[in-house]
Amino acid sequence: MKATLEVINQMQADGIIGNYAIGGAVGATFYLAPAATVDLDVFVTLAGTGGTLLVSLSPIYEFLKSRGGKAQDEYIVVGDWPVQFLLPSDALEEEAVRDAVFTTVEGVVTRVMTAEHLVAIALKTGRAKDHSRILQFVEQAAYDPARLSEILDRHGLSAKWTQFEHRFLEGEQ
Amino acid sequence: MSKPKLQARLAALSFSEKIKILEKLRDREKAIEAAGMRRQPSIQSAVAEKKRQR
Repeated sequence: MKATLEVINQMQADGIIGNYAIGGAVGATFYLAPAATVDLDVFVTLAGTGGTLLVSLSPIYEFLKSRGGKAQDEYIVVGDWPVQFLLPSDALEEEAVRDAVFTTVEGVVTRVMTAEHLVAIALKTGRAKDHSRILQFVEQAAYDPARLSEILDRHGLSAKWTQFEHRFLEGEQ
Repeated sequence: MSKPKLQARLAALSFSEKIKILEKLRDREKAIEAAGMRRQPSIQSAVAEKKRQR
C-alpha cells in the first residue's frame, strides 16, 4: 500500500489530479475492524477541469502506465493494489473528497473520507455489501450521528436512512 | 474474547496496522481463488446432495 500511495501522491504533486480521497472498504477500515477487500477505491478530482462537462481519466492511466501500472478490468494495478479511480458523481461525493481527513500509512500521507461520508455514500449506493458496511459502522459506533444527519439532510438522503433504520435497525437501538 | 471486544480491539489499531491485515486477508482470498476452493454449490445441487445422503 505504501508504494501505491506514493505513486498517487506523486500524481497529485505533478498536477495530474487535484484532490483525492480513499473511499470504499479500505476507507472504512480507517474507522472499523479490517474486512477483506481486493481493491482500493480512490475518488479524484482532476486538475483544471472546472466548468468542463466531459472529463476523462486517461491522464491518470497514461501517468500510471508510464510508471509500470497495469490495466486489469476496471482497475489499474499500482504497487501491489488494484486501484479503481472514480470521479465524484454528485455533490455528496464532491463534498466527501473535499472534507476527507489526513492520515498516514507507513509514513506516507494520504486522505480518507470521513466516517459519515462513507456511511452516506454506502446508503446512496445501496448494495448488500454497502448495507453490511453501514451496519458495521452502527455496531461499532464509529460515526457521529449528528454529523451524519446533517450530511443526509443536505443531500436528500434522510428518507432513505429512515427506511434503512426500519429495515435493519428496528429493535436494535 | 467476544466478537465485539475483538472488533473493538482491531478497530483501535493504527491505519498502517489495519492495512497490513487487509493485505494478508487479500492475499488469502487470492490464494483460495487460485486454488479453486471457492466453489459455492447451487441450492439445487445442495438439495440433490442431501437427498443422496438420505
